[in-house]
Amino acid sequence: MKHPRDPAAPGRAAALLLAIVILWPLGVIGEFHPWTLFEAQNLRVMGGFLAAFLPPAVGGEFLAHLGRATLETLAIATAGIALAFVLAVPLAMATTQALSVSRIGPGPGRRRGEWLRAALRVVLVVLRGLPELVWALLFVRVFGLGPAAGVLALGLTYGGMLAKVYAEILESGDSRPARALLEAGASRLQALCYGLLPGAAQELTSYTVYRWECAVRASVVMGFVGAGGLGQLMDQSMRMLNGSEAASILLTFLVLVLAADALSGLLRRQLGETDGRAGALAFGRRSSLWLLLLGSALLASYLWLDLGLAALLSAAALASMAAYFGAFFPLDLSPDWLASVAWGALETVAISALGTLLAAAAGLLLALPASGRYGQAFEQLTRFLLNALRSVPELVWATLMALAAGLGPFAGILALALHTSGVLGRLFAEALQNAPPRPRDALLEAGTPSASAFLYGTLPEVSPQLIAYSLYRWEMNIRMAAILGFVGAGGLGQLLYVKLSLFQYPQASTVIAAMLLLSVAVDAGSAWLRRWLASPGG
Amino acid sequence: MFRLHDAELTHSNGFVALRDIALAAEAGEQLAIVGPSGAGKTTLLRLISTALRPTRGRIDLLGGDPWALSAAELRRLRARIAVAHQAPPLPPRQRVVTAVLAGRLGQWPWWKGMASLLYPADITGARAALLRLELGERLFDRCDRLSGGQLQRVGIARVLYQQAQLVLADEPVSALDPALALQTVQVMCGDAAARGATLVASLHAVDLARSCFPRIVGMRDGRIVFDLPVAAVDDALLSELYATEGGGLPLLAGEPAGMSLPARAAGLPPRGTCWR
Ligand SMILES: Nc1ncnc2c1ncn2[C@@H]1O[C@H](COP(=O)(O)OP(=O)(O)OP(=O)(O)O)[C@@H](O)[C@H]1O
Ligand SMILES: [Mg+2]
Repeated sequence: MKHPRDPAAPGRAAALLLAIVILWPLGVIGEFHPWTLFEAQNLRVMGGFLAAFLPPAVGGEFLAHLGRATLETLAIATAGIALAFVLAVPLAMATTQALSVSRIGPGPGRRRGEWLRAALRVVLVVLRGLPELVWALLFVRVFGLGPAAGVLALGLTYGGMLAKVYAEILESGDSRPARALLEAGASRLQALCYGLLPGAAQELTSYTVYRWECAVRASVVMGFVGAGGLGQLMDQSMRMLNGSEAASILLTFLVLVLAADALSGLLRRQLGETDGRAGALAFGRRSSLWLLLLGSALLASYLWLDLGLAALLSAAALASMAAYFGAFFPLDLSPDWLASVAWGALETVAISALGTLLAAAAGLLLALPASGRYGQAFEQLTRFLLNALRSVPELVWATLMALAAGLGPFAGILALALHTSGVLGRLFAEALQNAPPRPRDALLEAGTPSASAFLYGTLPEVSPQLIAYSLYRWEMNIRMAAILGFVGAGGLGQLLYVKLSLFQYPQASTVIAAMLLLSVAVDAGSAWLRRWLASPGG
Repeated sequence: MFRLHDAELTHSNGFVALRDIALAAEAGEQLAIVGPSGAGKTTLLRLISTALRPTRGRIDLLGGDPWALSAAELRRLRARIAVAHQAPPLPPRQRVVTAVLAGRLGQWPWWKGMASLLYPADITGARAALLRLELGERLFDRCDRLSGGQLQRVGIARVLYQQAQLVLADEPVSALDPALALQTVQVMCGDAAARGATLVASLHAVDLARSCFPRIVGMRDGRIVFDLPVAAVDDALLSELYATEGGGLPLLAGEPAGMSLPARAAGLPPRGTCWR
């Protein structure tokens, strides 16, 4: 009792030890070699490339290319979301509990309904478990280079995501009106329109708009696997190490992503406003105007892309598609190949974990000035930097980092770290701004240096939020790390890319299965972690 | 120790919270500030702690004008002043030991502050401060597991641990029961006396002020109404300060007779009936 000890110390030491024991091997697997950045050769390549950034290319012909590619990117996103919507509505209606007819009673066909619902859920998991870029890579081989593969890929992945979220939104609201309608013999569609939509329309629309914003970011990189848009242009410029063109394209990314951000934010705010006054879908003049705009945007997208969907559905095309996808089965499950895939999966996890960890550290450092604690000028400057970091997609960062650090998982780590620090920095800055100021101010008034005041007064308040954000991003980054290999940054993606290039489809399908498994495991793991963090013991 | 010359403070919204304040205290002196709510007690203490800058007039603090110092010098000056806040500004998720040790962050080198987050740098010292306030066993609890009164005493423990030359306490015992309030104020006075530190406390309970402090300053509407040795402060003076016609003074113990059942007196229906 004379010298009390901190009872938390053994736990902390154990956690530190555990972190080292986990991070060390991850560092080895991920080939975490920061010094390669400073090797003379890499410095020379990267320096030459960056030096060519200024001035950005503004040649007439190039700008025309750039404009067309930008429009194509937007069109891919819009057409892809439309396709996703068409897929998602019936899937959501079929899977949501809120519209289950057989549950009433329970009536006839209860068993069958449950089975059908479970089967459709599995389909949804497969659709959204594979990143859109993997779908695009697969489709490019059937439909040829061009935007069609990109649109289909977006449609499938986002269709799965939209269906899942739509079903959840419908279930989260009050289901009694719909149930009453169903009990009165209404059809599912009628029950949806009269019973559920009035309450859920706003949230459903808002989420769809948000997904469109994500689709714009996704379609920016579709071109890296040959599926059209800005990515294709970027890929060419990078291959030729044309810095000034790359600079122009990167600037376009910045503008595009920020504009999509702003537009989606504006639309969603407008939705929030109308809701309060008029209740559900009021087909006033403004809604009609929006619908008209939306319709013309869709039409323009399809016309611009010249998809020729009809040709895709011809008998010959369907037969060749069946033959192509048939070649993926059976999976190659030989021990040797399984071992390589397992290693690839480990590499993917290592890339995502280290990338996210670096990003969290960098994000926190950037969030300090971005939250306005060093004055307006620094705030604006870092906010611009954060926006620039996050507007460049991970895959593009990976191609840049492959120049700076050589091919391999380390380039992937850096790419994830750069993009994610932009995202996390913004979220962290918001959290810091919302933190209660009094504990920190009291410390400052007691003469505490500002760094200590931050650590003792602000950080304890915000750290749970920062950790939650970082974990959430890690979850997304595991999926992202799986495809960074398409540009040579290690992990499962590299295996898939190589095997597809060699037409070794059974091996490729094993990698795809591993990606699916990883994605499902991440979903389950993060759900568990969230529950654990929310529980009082966590 | 400190001296205010005709200080005036106007808030950003134009409200004049303090005017014509002339107040001084020597080293080792102990004084209590009393006055009705909104009189400007908190504002005055914030002025002395250099959290607020007087809009007019001057302040001399620990041998100089604090607002003429450089940022680094001002920081070192502030490390010599401890403030016990009306509502202790402690992060809910922080542990008591860390919250107490934070009192010396201004005196420690920066690396010691960092290291102390990994393993508390001075458990013995923090525990000693808490023991004086009968909180020794809550050393490793989190602040959000404490009651309001316990939290207030953690804030005071931080002040004790800081060992400052000037201690400012803003209603430091407002959340404590009468017996504990008296004992806690005595601890603070005893600590200041033992170290020769100056103590300025604002208090709502006038009997507590009169029993523990040799000098009483009365405030009202942003002005100092009286500044007298405790012997000269009688009930009439205080009644005038609080302007409670026929009512009692705010005391530590017992409910003042005139303040019972204000809801009924104001003509509102008794609780339980639905009058919405
Ligand atoms: N930031 C501010 N802006 C404007 N007016 C303020 C501000 N802070 C305090 N005031 C006003 O200044 C006056 C004095 O406030 P102060 O907090 O000093 O009173 P107090 O004597 O401590 O009261 P209490 O006993 O209720 O704590 C009050 O009328 C208050 O409304
Ligand atoms: Mg006050």
